[in-house]
Amino acid sequence: MRAYWQLTLSQLRIFLRNRQVLFWTLAFPIFLMTMLGSFLGNGNGISLSIGVVDQDQSVQSKDLVNNLNKNKAIDIKKENNEKKALSKLKKGDLQLVVIIPKGYDLSLNGSPSKTEPFSLPVYYNETDMAASQVGIQLVNNAVDGISKEKVDYHPVVVTDSKGIETLNLKYIDFLVPGIVAMMIMSNNMNGVAGQIAAWRERGILRRMQGTTLKASTFIAAQITARLVLNGMQALIVLGVAHLIFGIEVRGSWFTLISFVILGTLAFMAIGFIIAGIAKTPESAAPIAGFLSFPMLFMGGVFFPIKNMPEFLQPIVQILPIAHLSHALRETMNVGASFMSLGTEAMILGGWLVGAFIIASYTFKWE
Amino acid sequence: MDSHEKIIQVMNLVKKYGDFSAVKGIEFHVHKGEVFGLLGPNGAGKTTTLEMLVGLRKPDQGTALIGGFDITRELKKVKEVIGVQLQSTSLFELLTVEEILHLYASFYPKQVSITSLIEDMLLTDKRKNRIKSLSGGQKQRLAIALALVHDPWIIFLDEPTTGLDPQARRTLWDIIRLLKEKGKTIVLTTHYMEEAHVLCDRIAIMNQGELIALDTPSQLVKNLQSDSAVEFRVENESAEVDLHEIEGVKQVGNQKDAYILYTDDLQITLTSLIQLATNKQLKLTDLQTRSATLEDVFIHMTGRRLREG
Repeated sequence: MRAYWQLTLSQLRIFLRNRQVLFWTLAFPIFLMTMLGSFLGNGNGISLSIGVVDQDQSVQSKDLVNNLNKNKAIDIKKENNEKKALSKLKKGDLQLVVIIPKGYDLSLNGSPSKTEPFSLPVYYNETDMAASQVGIQLVNNAVDGISKEKVDYHPVVVTDSKGIETLNLKYIDFLVPGIVAMMIMSNNMNGVAGQIAAWRERGILRRMQGTTLKASTFIAAQITARLVLNGMQALIVLGVAHLIFGIEVRGSWFTLISFVILGTLAFMAIGFIIAGIAKTPESAAPIAGFLSFPMLFMGGVFFPIKNMPEFLQPIVQILPIAHLSHALRETMNVGASFMSLGTEAMILGGWLVGAFIIASYTFKWE
Repeated sequence: MDSHEKIIQVMNLVKKYGDFSAVKGIEFHVHKGEVFGLLGPNGAGKTTTLEMLVGLRKPDQGTALIGGFDITRELKKVKEVIGVQLQSTSLFELLTVEEILHLYASFYPKQVSITSLIEDMLLTDKRKNRIKSLSGGQKQRLAIALALVHDPWIIFLDEPTTGLDPQARRTLWDIIRLLKEKGKTIVLTTHYMEEAHVLCDRIAIMNQGELIALDTPSQLVKNLQSDSAVEFRVENESAEVDLHEIEGVKQVGNQKDAYILYTDDLQITLTSLIQLATNKQLKLTDLQTRSATLEDVFIHMTGRRLREG
């Protein structure tokens, strides 16, 4: 037991004295969170910049622009020149360009029985389909409203859309749990793999094997020290998120901490496998990178999993990071209970047990 | 000697790596309280032997009793009575001397006083320093201190002085003598002949996985049956010359392009050598004479120097 405490203490001392590693493992997630959060975190979902070239300059055309402006998702940029507006569209500065041609006013004020509707050119960039689709939809709505007004239309049926989530979630709410999950993954998987491989290469493990120390004590101490460290790092990141973006943990801390522990253990076990496979510390990093990099992008850290292409879905669904980030997100954003996250806990537990079994076969002291 | 208690008994120890036999069934005893040296050129099997004795490698055949415990069946007991310092081990660089000693002490049921251990190893003024900041000699003394934290009976030192400057080596010799005075048994491997000569009570010489000699240093030199050595090179090695023809020569050693003649009568041998060289028109260079040492025993037995090059 004394050996366990001494080893845990020593490992924590090594962590804390390795200032550079400590700083950068914390700085990276915080930096990433702050950057992404500031760029994408404000605004509710997608925000669109629509360029409007008003060639008509009439009361009617101004009315249309005002109508568009009512929608908070739309940021109207007035453009004087059609060509300039289109080149901005190509560059991606604008997602949509609406051109109100001369004669718009006349056409609207003319006879309402006129069968031919006025056609309003709307340009979009095919390379950004998602934004274009939403944008066209919004412009359609605005134009539709004007048309209906003009023909004195009385609707028979209306839809009444109500958001289910009353929480008003922003991208930053999505991002912070993802960042915590990413930190747990990289610190443990990459961290364990690198450290154990290095200690083996330098003969540190062999020297300990020459004593009466048991491997289980050594591993237990490693796990404890990393749990303490991860817990602290997660708290710091959450603290920063709270201070800068006002993020709160809506669920119970118990559930949150349970998943931090579960995630730490699962990724540590994977890290031990990598350390066992890697022949040198130099090869441990690329192997860990090979596993962690796809997980960063496919595991729902930065983007929702449902945005992934259909053929990737089966792969995405078994990634441990996907379930960790989802569970953290549900806990923090919606306040889900541990019981309701049983599937996530089971899958992470499955990874933990499976990886631990493999690790115990591949682990070598030297 | 034989009346001594045998604290280590090695019985037919064999280690194979694939087709290659690193250790080919060696047997020897180590007496309690002696400093026992294991010598041999690189690849002779010294380190493999040592690693089998301390439980880092499993022997393919044979076994050894250390302090009465069998290394293949009672390894945990063995580890409690032995202390090891391994070749090229690095330690946790970010811990301090005191911290790492407490850490290693915690691995064992029994410990000595860390403070006095630090004092014995001359590390008192470094005890709060991080391992990273220690010099080579200080690190080596710390490695030995780590081998002593649980008050073992037997201490295994694998090339403890390799890579140290002469001053640091002498300090380490003093420490090894101190340990001997305290009644510890020490098994060490070394590359340095003079080190083996001053430190060891008995020396085992290994070559290509076999034990080829085991005796006290002075007895080993005596067995060479010659007091002096004549060493030289031949620049124009064209003619066939039988160096055994030279008067007084008992043995001829060959080391790369240098020859060594062992003789009891230096004067006669030298005269005869010069005569032969003149007759056969040999050009002798680097001619030197000296008294025979352990190094010569070694060259004679293995055809190689301890440290090649």
